[in-house]
Order: sequence, then C-alpha cells, then structure tokens
Amino acid sequence: MTWADLLFLLPEIVLSIGGCLLLLAPVIGGRNNGVAAKWSMLLLLVATAAAIYVAAGAGIPSLALGTLFVADPFAVFFKLLFVVVIAMITLLSAEFLEDGRYSAWEYYSLMAFALCGMMFMASGTHLISIYVGLELLSLASYILAGYYKNETRSTEAAMKYFVLGATSSGILLYGMSLIYGACGSLHLEAISQAVATMAGNQALIIGVMLLGAGLCFKVAAVPFHVWTPDVYTGAPTPVTAFLSTASKVAAFAIFARIFYMGLHSLEPDWNSIIATVAALSMIVGNLAAVTQTNVKRMLAYSSIAHAGYALLGVLAMSEIGLQGVLIYMLVYAFANIGTWAMVMLLRRREYAGENVDDFDGLHKSAPLYAFAMVVFLLSLGGIPPTAGFIGKYYLFAAAISAGYAWLAVIAVLMSAVSMFYYFRLVVAMYLKDGAAADVIPSRQVRFIVIVCLIATLTLGILPERMIRGAARSIAPIVNLASR
Amino acid sequence: MTDPLMLTGVSLALFVIVGAIAVASSILVVSMRNPVHSALFLLLTFLCVAILFVSMGAEFVGAVQVLVYAGGIMVLFLFVVMLINVKALPKEKVFTATSMMGVLMGVLLFIILAIILASGTWAPAVNAPENLRTAVVVKTTPVVDAGGATIQTETVTRDVVGNAEAVGMALYRDYLVPFEVASLFLLVAMVGAIVIGKRELDASEEEAIPEFIAKKVSDEDRLKEVTGA
Amino acid sequence: MAIGEYLWLVPLLPLVGAAINGFRAAYAKGEKSKTLTNGVALGSTLLSAIIASFAAWRYGLAKVPYEVVYWDWIPAGLGNVAGGLLGNFNVELGLQIDSLSITMMMVVTWIGFLIHVYATGYMGHEKGYTRFFAYLNLFMFMMLLLVLGNNYVVMFVGWEGVGLCSYLLIGFYYDKTFAADAGKKAFITNRIGDFGFLLGIFLLFNWFGTADYTKVFALAAHDPLRFEGVATLLCLCLFVGACGKSAQFPLYVWLPDAMAGPTPVSALIHAATMVTAGVYMVVRSNVLFRLSPEAMLVVACVGAFTAIFAATIGLAQNDIKKVLAYSTVSQLGYMFLAAGVGAYTAAIFHLMTHAFFKACLFLGAGSVIHGCSGEQDMRKMGGLGKYMPRTHVTMGIATVAIAGIPPLAGFFSKDEILASAFFKRFETLGEPWSWFPLVLFGVGMLAAMCTAFYMFRLYFMTFVGEYRGAAEAGHGAHAGHDAHGHDDHSQGHADDHGHYGGAPHESPWSMTGVLWILAVGSILAGLVGFPLALIGKHQPTYFQSWLEPILLPIGGHAFHFHEAELTMEVILIAASVAVAVIGIVIAYFFYKADPSWSKPKQLAAGAPKLYDVLLNKYYVDEIYGATVIRGTIVLSLILKWIDTNIVDGAVNGVRHVTVLIFGHGSNLVDKYVVDGAVNGVASGAKGSSTLLRRMQTGVVQNYALVMGAGVVLLAVVYLAFEVLGKMQG
Repeated sequence: MTWADLLFLLPEIVLSIGGCLLLLAPVIGGRNNGVAAKWSMLLLLVATAAAIYVAAGAGIPSLALGTLFVADPFAVFFKLLFVVVIAMITLLSAEFLEDGRYSAWEYYSLMAFALCGMMFMASGTHLISIYVGLELLSLASYILAGYYKNETRSTEAAMKYFVLGATSSGILLYGMSLIYGACGSLHLEAISQAVATMAGNQALIIGVMLLGAGLCFKVAAVPFHVWTPDVYTGAPTPVTAFLSTASKVAAFAIFARIFYMGLHSLEPDWNSIIATVAALSMIVGNLAAVTQTNVKRMLAYSSIAHAGYALLGVLAMSEIGLQGVLIYMLVYAFANIGTWAMVMLLRRREYAGENVDDFDGLHKSAPLYAFAMVVFLLSLGGIPPTAGFIGKYYLFAAAISAGYAWLAVIAVLMSAVSMFYYFRLVVAMYLKDGAAADVIPSRQVRFIVIVCLIATLTLGILPERMIRGAARSIAPIVNLASR
Repeated sequence: MTDPLMLTGVSLALFVIVGAIAVASSILVVSMRNPVHSALFLLLTFLCVAILFVSMGAEFVGAVQVLVYAGGIMVLFLFVVMLINVKALPKEKVFTATSMMGVLMGVLLFIILAIILASGTWAPAVNAPENLRTAVVVKTTPVVDAGGATIQTETVTRDVVGNAEAVGMALYRDYLVPFEVASLFLLVAMVGAIVIGKRELDASEEEAIPEFIAKKVSDEDRLKEVTGA
Repeated sequence: MAIGEYLWLVPLLPLVGAAINGFRAAYAKGEKSKTLTNGVALGSTLLSAIIASFAAWRYGLAKVPYEVVYWDWIPAGLGNVAGGLLGNFNVELGLQIDSLSITMMMVVTWIGFLIHVYATGYMGHEKGYTRFFAYLNLFMFMMLLLVLGNNYVVMFVGWEGVGLCSYLLIGFYYDKTFAADAGKKAFITNRIGDFGFLLGIFLLFNWFGTADYTKVFALAAHDPLRFEGVATLLCLCLFVGACGKSAQFPLYVWLPDAMAGPTPVSALIHAATMVTAGVYMVVRSNVLFRLSPEAMLVVACVGAFTAIFAATIGLAQNDIKKVLAYSTVSQLGYMFLAAGVGAYTAAIFHLMTHAFFKACLFLGAGSVIHGCSGEQDMRKMGGLGKYMPRTHVTMGIATVAIAGIPPLAGFFSKDEILASAFFKRFETLGEPWSWFPLVLFGVGMLAAMCTAFYMFRLYFMTFVGEYRGAAEAGHGAHAGHDAHGHDDHSQGHADDHGHYGGAPHESPWSMTGVLWILAVGSILAGLVGFPLALIGKHQPTYFQSWLEPILLPIGGHAFHFHEAELTMEVILIAASVAVAVIGIVIAYFFYKADPSWSKPKQLAAGAPKLYDVLLNKYYVDEIYGATVIRGTIVLSLILKWIDTNIVDGAVNGVRHVTVLIFGHGSNLVDKYVVDGAVNGVASGAKGSSTLLRRMQTGVVQNYALVMGAGVVLLAVVYLAFEVLGKMQG
C-alpha cells in the first residue's frame, strides 16, 4: 500500500477527518447551530473537490488497496450524487436545527459519517468493505432518525429502525458467510469467477437469497419494507428525505454492483426471487399509498414502490438496465428531495405539511411552489417531459427486452395507480379552496425546491448529459459482466 | 466422495455437543427474565463458540473470543445491569403467540432451506483450513536491469505462518481500511449514545438518577435485589 | 425556405403565449388587462395558424413527406443491449411533415383559433380569465406536438400533455367539487389508456428497435412476414391507449363528465381535437394495423359498438351538453369503425368534418346556455329560435350536417365510412368472420338513425315551440340546475348572469361570428371527399389522394381504396339518407308536431325499465364505482390494514391454533422450566419507559416476524420456480 493508493480514498478520508472536526469544533468555537451548517457545507465542498480530483486523476478504473475498493466511474457517479444529495439535505436541515433545541454539530458530523459510509459502499468491490460502509451508514441513520429525542414518535422510529436494521444486517451477514463458504472469497470478481463453475451449489443459492433479503431491507422493498412507513413518518422530515433518497440510492449502488459484478452468472437462480420482490413492491407500495391521508406516510409507500421499479433494472442484467438504475436514482433523488422540501415548506407544527389538506389552495398562496410540487409529482409518476419519464422509460424498456413483459405490465399499470394518489395532492393544491399551511420563510428550503424543480425539468428535457454520464459510468461493470 | 472438510469421529462429536450447548444457551439468553441470568447464559454461548473456533483450527480467534467477549464485554454487561437497577423483566409469558409464530417461521425456514440444499450439490468449500495459517507475503527486491536503472520486482508467496500472524496480516494489512472504518463506526455509536442519551436540564433530570442512588439503597440490599438471593 | 426551418414555430408560439399569460396569472398584481391577455393568446394562436397554413400550402406544392429532426432528446448509441434487441434506443425530437400531420395541424390551429375567439366572449365575466387562456394555449402546444411529432415517444409527450391540460381545464371552475372530480376522473381514466400506449411503445422498441414513424413503417411495410406475429399484440396495446384518449368503450366514462368544464373547452378539447388523438394514432399506425386483421376487427367492433351504445344513451338525455357529449363518443366510434375496416382516409375525413360541425354544435350550445343564463336542461328551453336567430340558424346547419343530409359535410364522411364497412371483407379470418363487416354496416346504419333522431330532438326541444323557462325566470338562474342533483351540473357560469332576468338573449358577435364560420365549414368541408363515382370516375376522392402517401404499400402491394360502381354507390347513398330522414321524421313527430311530447312520454312509460337504463347511461358509472373503483379502494384498505396491524391480526387469528397446539405445553414449560430456572426472582418492575412498552406491544417483533416470513417467501418462490423449471426441462 502506498500513498498513491490512499489517494483513491481521498473523499472518504476528507469526510472522516471533517466529521471528527465537526464534533470537536464546538469545544473551540461554541455551540452556535447556525454556523454548523456552513462548516458542513464547506466540508462537503472539499469532499466534492476530492471526489472530482479522484475521478479526473485516477487512471480509471483502478483498484485500490488490495482490491477492496475501486475508484471506477460507477463509484464516482454515485459519490457525486451522494454529495449533492447530502448537501441538499444539509440545507434542508438547517431550518429545523436553527431553533437550538437539538445540537447541529453532532447532526452534521453524523451526516458526514453517513456520507463517508455511502462512499465506501459505492466504491467497495469486496463484500467486507461494502458491509462496513453499509453499517457505518446504517448506524448513523438510526441515530439521525431519533434526533427529535423529545418526540416519542421519533425515538420510537429510531428504535424500530435499529432493531429491524440489526436483524437485517444479521441476515445479510449470514448470506455473505454462505457465499464465502462456497466461493472461498468475498471479492466480487473472485466470486464471479467461482460462481461460474458452481452450477447447482445450493448453499451458494441460499447465500445469495439471504444477501438479497438483507439488501431488500436497505432499499425498502416488500416484504422487507415493514419499517418504512413508521420510520419515515416518525423521523424528522430532513432525515426522512435523507433515508428515502441518500440511503436508498446507496443501497441500490451496492445492490447493482454486487449483482452485476459478482452474481451475474447466477442470474437464472435468483431472477425469480428478485422478480417477486419487484412485483410485490410495486403492487403493495402503490396500492397501500392510495388511501393514506398523511403525506409522509403516502410518500413512504410510494418510495417502496420506487424501489420496486428500480429493481427492474437489476433484474434485467443488461446494459440498459444498469443504466436505468443509475438514471432512475438520479431523477428520483431530485424529485423526492423536492417533495420532502415541499413538506417542510408547509411547516405548521413540529411535523408539518403532513396532511393532504395542508396543501389546500396552495396554488393561490404560492403559485411557484404549487407548480414545483406538480412537477415533482409528475416526475415521480413518470410523466413526460419530466425527468422521471426518462428513468421509467429505461427501466421498463430494460424489463421488456430482458423478457419480463409481465413485470413491465405491472409496472406501467401500477404507475397509473400511483398517479391516483399523487393527484390527490394536485387536486388539493389547485382545485380546493382552503387555507394552505403557510409557506415558511426559510430561504434554504425554498432554494432547494427551486434547485430540484430546475433539475427535474432540465434532466427531463435535456437528458443527454445524464444518459451519457450513466453510459460511461456503467462501462467497467458491464465489461466485467460480459467477460 | 471423501470431503476434506467432513468432520469425523471425535471432532464430529465435539462439534455436535458444543454446538447444541451453544444453541440451547442462546435460547435461554432470550427467555430468562432475570438479566443477570441472561448475561451468564450469553457468557456460556460465547465460550461454546470459542471452543468451536479452536476445534476448527482458529486458536487465535478462539482466544480473542474468550478475552474480548467473555472477558471484556460480559463484564461490562453485568456492570450495566447492576448499575441501572434492572430487576427482573415483567412477568409475562415467554411463549407468547408472537414468539410461537417466530418458532414456526424458523422451523418452516429450516425445512425449506433443507429441501433446497437437498435438491442440489453441496460442493466442498474451496477454502481449506490451512488458509487460516497462510498469509500472502510480498517481498520487494531491487533489481538492476540491462539499462542500469533500478526497478522493483515483487515476489508473491504464500507462506505458512502462525495463526495469530495470519489474522494479523489479514486485519492490519489486507483489510486495513475496513478495519479503520470499523473505528469510525464505533465513534458514531459513541456519538449516538451521547446525543440520544444526554438529557436537557429540566424537570426530568431527577428521573435520570438511578433509583438506588436516589434512595440510598445499601450495597447489600442492592446485591440481594439483583441476584434474587 | 424548407418547411422544417419554420414549422417549429407552429407549436412553439402557443407555448410562448401560455408562458406569458401563465406568468401574468400567477404573479401580476391586481386586475389583469384583458386586452393584453387576448392579444397574447389570440395573437400567438393566429400567428401559429397562419404559419401552419403557409407550411401546408408549401407542402401541397411538392407533396414530399419528410421529417425534420431538431434535437436528440434521448441520444442514440448509448444503450445498446448485448442482444441488440432494443437497437439504438434513441428518441429524437422532430416534426413529421406529411399530408396526415398537415391535415391535423390545420384542423387544430384553425379550429383552435376560432374557439379562442369565441372564448373571449364566453369567458368574459369569469375570474381567472388570464389563467384560462394560459391553459388553453398550453393545450394548443401539446396538441400540436402530438400531431406533428415524428415518433411515438414525442406523440406520447403530447398525449400526456393534452391530458394534463384537459384536466386543468375541466377543473377550471374549481369551486365546484364536481368539476374537480370530473377532472380527476378524466386524468385517471386516461392513465389507464396510456398504460397500453406506453407498453406499445416499449414493444415497438423491442421488435423494431426504434419508435420513429418512418423507420418503423418502412420496416413493417418492407418485411410484413417478420412482424405479422407480433403486430396483433402491439396494435392492441396502442388501441388501448386510443380507447382512453378517444373515449371508446369501456373507457369512455370520463368524457360526459368532462362537460363540467367551460363550454369552449368542451368544444376544443372534448369534441374537435384532443379526443380525436386516438383516431389520429390508429391512422398514423395504419401500416402496423394492416398487418393484423384481428386487431383491425377489434378496432372495428369496439368502434361500432361504441357508436350505437353512446347513440342510444343520447336518445334519453335532457342536458344539452350531455347529448352532445354522447354524440361525440358515438361519432368517435364511427371513426374507429372506419379505421377498423381499413378506411383510414374516411376516418380522418370524418374527423375533419366532425371537428367543424361538432365544434359548431358545442359553441352553439354554449351560446344557448349563455343566453339562457346558465340553463342546460333542454326541457326548460324551447322557442329559442325567436330570441337568438344567429345561433338558431348556425346550429341548425350543424345539426343537418351531423344527421347526414347531403350535401353537407357529415353526409359525405359518414357515407364513406358506411360504404367502406359494406365493401370490406376480412378474407384472412375465415368464412363467417370475413362477412362480419356487413353486421358492422348494419350497426352503423342504426347508429346513424339514432344520431339523426337525437340531434333533431335537441334542435326541436331547444329552438322550436314555446319558451318553457319563462315561468322560472323570476327566481333567478339558479333554480333550474340546482334541482337536478348530481346529474345535471351546470357550470358556474350562471353566477354572472342574473342580471339578464328571464328572457333569453342572443350572444355577442365574437361568439356568433365564430358560429357562422364553423357553419359554413360544416357545409363545405365535405366537398373534398365528394365520391367521384357519382360523376362516373372510378378513382379515389380528392381527400383520399391527398392522404394516399401515408398508406404505404405493404410487401409491395399497394393500398386499395374501394371504388364502387355508380349503381351501388347510389343505392348506398339512398339508404344512408333514408335512415337519416327516418330519424328526423320520428323526431319531428315526437317533438315538433306534438308540443306536449305525448309519444315519447308514452314510450318512456310503456317501457320504464328500458327508459331508466338509457337515462342512467346503462349504469356504467355505477358498475365501475362498484367494481373497479371500490375494488381498488378495498384492496388498498386491506393492504393498509395489513401493513399497520400486520401480524397483530395474523397473530390473533393464529393464537387460537397455537394455544390449541402449544398452549398446555407452553404453560408447562413456563411453569416448571423457566420459572424454575429463575426461581424466586421478584417480579413486576414498574415504570418501564413508554418506549419499552411500545417495544413490548409486539409491533417490532411482529415486523421482524414479517421479515422472517419474507425470507421464507423468497425461499418458497425459488423452490417453486426450480420445480417449474425442472418440469419444463
């Protein structure tokens, strides 16, 4: 190992040091919550610079540190996406931390460690490195979910999330150990080579099954979704935004990496499982959302459904499928954070903007924000020309070309159902008179709404750069799979 | 058909017996009402697992298991149990409908996994136990090439080393970065404990003080309460 | 200058108009200048229409169809799949310039412009005037994108866009809950159709590697054998989309409700343009449909059934806009019937003539409603010919046109459709089915008779006889429609018209002028499809030759128009005129000759069940409500219930079983084993925190249990598929 090897991990190193500094800073500078966000943003800026430096400088793809990590374009794509998402969530969080009841410094430090864990996940090519990254992210998420420690709902959410998350980690580890037992290695490439010669090894299959179950918990896919509605509803809204985007995107990064790099030749064995999970997620997520009156809970179910759509890309095992996953994660992140930002914007109480009728008549009091919300919802529903359409277009096409026409039928039908509950919000905003909750005067939250609006429209109308980026990012993995 | 990993004779008997004790005591961990009893059964589980490690040829890991878990963590557990004055858990049925469902689920899963395993081959593991005693050693030697420049050549060998050394090599060289990430993980856990556990100074402050301190319970009474003697 | 260099202006100008007015509606303070709103909205539409006409004229000179690509929306060459199934997977944003899109463009821009003009008069008193025109312009943009796009994905973009605008415009009177519901119904029903369309697009990519019209049709036409097998599924998927957008059975339910929107919207979107998008799509895809006689049969059957189904409902409706709505559904059915029997030019021809006379009828109805202070119930009208002569005459012309009386527009197009059905044979489908079009012809004739009847019923009830609303005039305008409950919802328009008192009045020139233009169109538009057989020439009509380039020869075989013998043609014309006249005569005797309407009342009393069924539109809404909608809600509630109570409920259910099996055993274990082991431990620690209590209610354990069950499920699924695989292999 040399210093050059360590350079590959520069963003992670920056973040871990920065996270520690955020913890120490109040000792020197006092606990001014308002300043914390600024320092946190600075840290993210440095991390972004580091990530770009690695992306530009690394002779891509290079294996670093005994092949545990790789700084390939796939990892870089996700790392940059993570940084952007966390930056947006940092800005969203500033508002709720400003009243000083909860310490901001620890909050942002946890956020930095979570980001660090996500980056390790994105670049891990070895089940151990992926696992430690995942655990780092998970532990930080458990604590963040319970950050409203004076609210029973929040602590309850954290506790449920923690207990169930630990259970799922156990399942995940058990799966990994069975895979190790069968393949003699935890490195994805070695697994891929070993797997190719091991048709009919049932211990391996069980290992993959359990690994898949653990990952499905992290992406909140049915039937491992039970924690989602409670945790999303109970956690502070910026943390919910974090859980439903950053955490989920990171889980999809490793989902795609493990299945495309390591287990692609086992596809005939696991496809039935993943197909079932995808179908169940789309059906249960969308149908259960229809009758929800709490917006956070409705969006929680909708995020379960989105996990189902994205799984189609993993299932397809094709270039276009993997590209679809990347694109979908990108467009989903913006539309979703935008939606959560809108929920925050309509703050009335501690948990605000939560009921559908909080949106009543928003069209009159805040036309721009109502319009933005419509765009986000259309994007989540996959209607052109918003970005969500491009994502769904790739995923559904991948499913059909891989021979899963029945899943594509379910997917398209269920996205029709999803418009049903998304439109409840549109109806509330445009067609109902009522006192909409006041739009809070937080500049940061408003800024995020506008950023997400612009991103959702731009990525939908001018998707070329995104598609090219995704195509470049998947190249090393697809080459590996076709070898 | 002889599998190099197949356990036979004494080692098989040892595995079965120790394994059974481990399973039984871990069930008792969750079904005991007195936390101290639970903790003691947990200790037994750890010890059994340590024996299994040793019997598989991983003496070092077995020793660490005893030292860290049985020695360190268990003591900490007992300490906490004593300190926060948890008496017995409320008396309620251990075998509730939920736990019965759990048992059923476990049995069902066991049966189905067994069916799956039976339907295919259970190929021998690629990894032999010797691996626990080997480590990849990279030696760098400077060589002068034809042009007179010095270049480094690397020779990679798999040497038989001690068990402890193999673990050390794996942990502090091959898996150094994940190891370091694990330290971050502990830091996060600590921050979390403080953030969630810390209370603002308000009316609820008094509740935070353990009962026996507030009530000035004598140590003898306290011990009696906890052990139930 | 090539057409492509300026054609983009046609859709873009309305978009600019929409942006300006939308921005003003959202942000301008105080009273918005109507002049400016009109200038922007009408100006952009007029300019767009003029440019469109210029382009049409230039195209007509050379008649060279081509596509112009402006930009690579989803770029090519980035998504090659290993198997190559999806081809390039690229989508370009471009415009198609050929006779079909030019025809559609002309209809949309000019009719759209006229309706804009009309709306300035009609919506004059409304609040949200500027917003209304912003939506209307946005609709124009989306509709033009739909008809001009050079591939299915762009068509889909426009398709979704018009759906959205239609939703916004139906719900324009957003203080009316009904309007909001109707808008939502329209959007959701359309989404069900879109699901088929979207699948169709994916299938296209899968089999053709592209969604570009030119490439797809060239492939299909060149190598029909290769695609024959897949064409049926593909066409049916596309047709599901068409059914949603064009309100065909069973997805038509949204259109009658959509009449809750302002009348200009009903005329523009729900009569003349948007609802015809499905017809346009089927005709556009004619090469694919011609590969699959089965799919064409389905199209023809659905079309014919919708035509007669909606026409019979129209017989018993009393709301003037409802009659027209069902008439639209019925006429759209005719267009699909035409497409299904292979008369694609006839479908577009009818689409065009229909745009004229139906727009005229709707706008006329709007004028009537306007004049009667918001009244929509025809039983409260009558004798309006005296009060509003210009509306009376123009609407009369349109009524004659739709009834199919020569030489007005509706006659030619309807006759061409019926004749096509009469001559069509599905040879490839075997003996009984190949003659099936004769049945369709019969159904079409019957529907034509119904159409003539209910349209003249509308005419007689509205314009002839004595004014029946006067008695109520004193109470103001509201009394009428409030009494009808949910069925006859009038549009909030009435609010501003109380000052007219009781007497109906003629509408301003901005409205009646438009009516005149459309009425003239209803007279003349049919002439382009004059059957040349009547003057002894055996060749396609002018309109058919104009559209011929889009009917590619398949596998080298050119498309055949039916060219009937003179005698046959005359017999058919006579028959179709005869049924129309019969309908009119019946209507005359029922509603004109006998002002007390005793005969229809007798009929209704004689068969009360039948009358109820017709009046209630065959109870289709109720059936949907009880099945599809309730089904979804119930399913959702079940899932919600499972998710919130999940294993709690399951556990309670299973508890009895477990107690039976393990009950005694577990008691024994509890008593002796466990209690023995913890002998003497003091029980009942109190004051455990809320958190702990919640943990102990079992929710978390139950959640964990579900996850365990999930793992079991995955294992079972794997095993099941394994077994299936072994059985097959």
